[in-house]
Amino acid sequence: MPDIDIDAQGTTLLLMGNEAIARGALEAGVGFVAAYPGTPSSEILPAIAEVARQRGIYAEWSVNEIVAIEAATAASLAGIRAMSPMKQNGTQVALDFLGNLAQRGVGAGLVLVTVDDPGSHNSSNEQDTRHVAKWLDIPMLEPGDFQEAKDMTRWAFDLSEEVDIICMLRAVSKISHTRGNVKLGDLPTRQYKASFPYDGAGRVGGRQRMWGIPHDVQHKKLAIAREKYETSPFNRYVGPDKPELLIITSGATWLYSQEAVRTVGLEKRVGILKLGTIWPLPEKLVTEHLDKSLEVLFVEEIDPFIEGSVMELAASQVPGKPQHTFYGKRSGHINAYGELSPDDVIKALNKIMGINYQARDPAYLKKVEAIPREYAVNRGGALCPGCPHRASFWNIRTALKLDGRGGFATGDIGCYTQGLLPGGFSVVKTLYCMGGSAGIATGFGKLGQFGFKQPVLAVCGDSTFFHATIPALINGIFNNSNFTLVVLDNTATAMTGFQPHPGTGRTAMGEPARAIKIEDICRSLGVPVEVCDPFKFKETTETLLKMMAIDKGTRVVVMKRECELIRGRRESPPYKVTVSPDLCLGDDCGCDRLCTRIFLCPGLRWNKETGKSEIDPILCTGCGVCVDICPQGAIKREVL
Amino acid sequence: MVTKVKGAKELQDEVINTGLCTLCGACAGSCPYLVSYKGRMVLMDNCNLSEGQCYQYCPRTHIDMDAISREVFDVPYSEQQLGTFKEIFIARSADNHIRGKAQYGGTVTALISLAMKEGLIDRAILTQTSNDKTPEAVLAQNEKDVLQCTSSNYMACPVIEKFNKLPKEDNFKVGIVTTPCQGLALSKMKLHPPHNRFSIDNLKLVIGLFCTWALSTDQFHSFLMETLNIPLVKKFDIPPPPANTFDAYTSSGKISISLNQVRKYTMPTCAYCLDMTSEFADISIGAVEGIEGWNTVIVRTNTGAELISRAKQKGAIEIGALPPQNLAHLKEAALIKKKRGLGEIIKRTGDRNNLLYLGLSQQVADKLIS
Repeated sequence: MPDIDIDAQGTTLLLMGNEAIARGALEAGVGFVAAYPGTPSSEILPAIAEVARQRGIYAEWSVNEIVAIEAATAASLAGIRAMSPMKQNGTQVALDFLGNLAQRGVGAGLVLVTVDDPGSHNSSNEQDTRHVAKWLDIPMLEPGDFQEAKDMTRWAFDLSEEVDIICMLRAVSKISHTRGNVKLGDLPTRQYKASFPYDGAGRVGGRQRMWGIPHDVQHKKLAIAREKYETSPFNRYVGPDKPELLIITSGATWLYSQEAVRTVGLEKRVGILKLGTIWPLPEKLVTEHLDKSLEVLFVEEIDPFIEGSVMELAASQVPGKPQHTFYGKRSGHINAYGELSPDDVIKALNKIMGINYQARDPAYLKKVEAIPREYAVNRGGALCPGCPHRASFWNIRTALKLDGRGGFATGDIGCYTQGLLPGGFSVVKTLYCMGGSAGIATGFGKLGQFGFKQPVLAVCGDSTFFHATIPALINGIFNNSNFTLVVLDNTATAMTGFQPHPGTGRTAMGEPARAIKIEDICRSLGVPVEVCDPFKFKETTETLLKMMAIDKGTRVVVMKRECELIRGRRESPPYKVTVSPDLCLGDDCGCDRLCTRIFLCPGLRWNKETGKSEIDPILCTGCGVCVDICPQGAIKREVL
Repeated sequence: MVTKVKGAKELQDEVINTGLCTLCGACAGSCPYLVSYKGRMVLMDNCNLSEGQCYQYCPRTHIDMDAISREVFDVPYSEQQLGTFKEIFIARSADNHIRGKAQYGGTVTALISLAMKEGLIDRAILTQTSNDKTPEAVLAQNEKDVLQCTSSNYMACPVIEKFNKLPKEDNFKVGIVTTPCQGLALSKMKLHPPHNRFSIDNLKLVIGLFCTWALSTDQFHSFLMETLNIPLVKKFDIPPPPANTFDAYTSSGKISISLNQVRKYTMPTCAYCLDMTSEFADISIGAVEGIEGWNTVIVRTNTGAELISRAKQKGAIEIGALPPQNLAHLKEAALIKKKRGLGEIIKRTGDRNNLLYLGLSQQVADKLIS
């Protein structure tokens, strides 16, 4: 990651969208940034943390997003510009606070950065957080490229102070995670003196703040924001004065629209209005452009947010004005969900403008898709070789099968979400949000009175435990719910990139922190707690069976083993692992490829020609655990 | 009647999940997919093979009775009540110590110990009653081990799984004590020798027990736990008729439970069994009605005859004649089991020509289904 605090106004730097957002915050003189890791937003905080100390900034990994925004708000109230970046799910976690915050106003500028994941490449769901702005009555901006990611973030702090409200900046994966040229602005130094100027009942800084604020105060603030939006440089029009078709777009889809129009050669016939100030809608500006053409195509991700707002606006116009034809998600010209690409815009243009542009022969596409299969193993989603979760899920699968009462695991968010897949032996049968596994388990655990007999194992990770599981665990204990919480403690927030959490002993800024032990918390709650090494199959499976057999109240098993990626960076492999072809039965009766068909560690691969399993010397991390699953003892490990 | 060999999935659908499984263990112990656990056969994962040894050796998938009879006895399967045999008599161990620990006459223990001592077998697979009174298959290596396995358990124990688990490369000689269904499974294994496993040629001696039914371990054990103070029980016994009890012996005396209460824990598959006297063993051994402390012994094969001869020679057992009324009664009881079993099978399949797993010749079938 480049150091984003170089003091070189006017220089162009190649920056990832998230880095540009971080730079924008630096240029605005941000003093306090708190976040929780969530793809695609995770890089923002570390970019700031890298330079935080020398710039006198405080950067924090909080346990979850609502605590993060709460912490940032304290800074804002005390006069320090603050920011909290998160992914769409994080915004959902923070909503109760945000809803109140929207009414309260701010001290110094406060910016919420929410990064959505169209197509949910890296999420358990797909959600368009722009609706939050409309719902909460707060101003929202959407950058259309890397430069705007920086410039808008910088401006958002000013806007927040001028309007006296939290400002939301909404990006998507393709802005946050791709790199482009960004011209740097100046880097002012701010001297902060934090103090919280409370006075009177619910009053701060001489104004009524904490209660008794009528809702229309927010509406008036939005009107001020709207006025500023009407002349904002973040809204741009490119195209003929009277285009045959007007595209209204925002965010990453602006880039796709530009590319599409250029590819099919319609620059002289199609105009593009790109909005950057999305909510409240700059109505005068939009009306002006609606007058340019009666045919309008909306291109945006994910929901028809601008489409809906503009159609609302058009419906409220003077009756008797000519009627527009609106194309977009409602009409089916643009996908109603998922991530878009220039091809999607071209498809819409084909239909609307009656042209027939075909980018590529579909037969060619099929040929291209077939090529990787000749060179790559045809594999589904897999846990890393050596991953302790594979061993944990193996223990869970064995225990559930032997127990025989139709038990199952509930799932949560992390690498171990793969417990849903064959790579995790499909032991996980439900998946919702952070903390969801324990929450839903406490419900299942009370169904005994309705005849429910299936044992429930709630699976969660260590970071998830601190983030959201604790209240659900306590709920289970308090309400005497019958389930076993299985914490997969690999001492890492692995899926998002090994960010520190309360169990890892280190903060975002590299300060040592007292590592909080999950088993200590659980023991203090007075319930049965066992700590196991998931690599020790026999003991761990027996412990699970024993816990399941208790069949009442809440119990906890902590499966403790370090993430293999962390261990592997620090130490050399413990074993050299080999498969003896003489002993390997392969797909014969007695084995039927247990290791490469069921166990599915990428370190093992099936040799079609020899009909035997073998170790992939590049992928195998030498953890040696597969030795214990081979029914013929054909896998051998040698201490290195 | 379907005769082809199928795979683990079909075994689960046709046998394990339909109440037909006898828990003999023939399907388990040689692959990671089928394991026994607390009186249940568990399919751990899907095996994709369309044909598996698990299905092939199961005593509830198709058995060509003539074929296994020829394999073991060189004669086709007949409708004889007690199966094919050379001799029948009563016997007991000549050793007081063995008799003291035994269920009845201690003949099984005496013969297994002798076979080991004489080097006819190196190891024996027996059933031991563990501390919580559930049965456990053990590999006995010496007489001391054998003496741990003297009492009857009455709950099904998957001893063949133990056999299957023996290391492929080893060649020690094994003896095994079985129930009738296990004898059937082993005969199937002799007929179609298993591959990728411990060699069936190493199986040198099969002693079969008389059996009317076995109790389901997971259900009966829960019943016992509710009814008795398990740690105090030293021995169980189901005395021969006319008694109708299940007895538990503690140091303070005997607790009798009505057999009617216990019968409901019989494994459902026992209803479809035709074999009361372990017809597919080298020697079959059971109690003797009305003569306490002795065993009824049926010698069937040359191997069995040689062992008895050796036992007589070495004075390991005492022998007597089986009274004619006992023989008549035994034959009657055995025939009733055959007829009842066939009746239940036909009730289940609804078709006289579909005998589920039994591949009988038309002649034998006609004689038995009358």
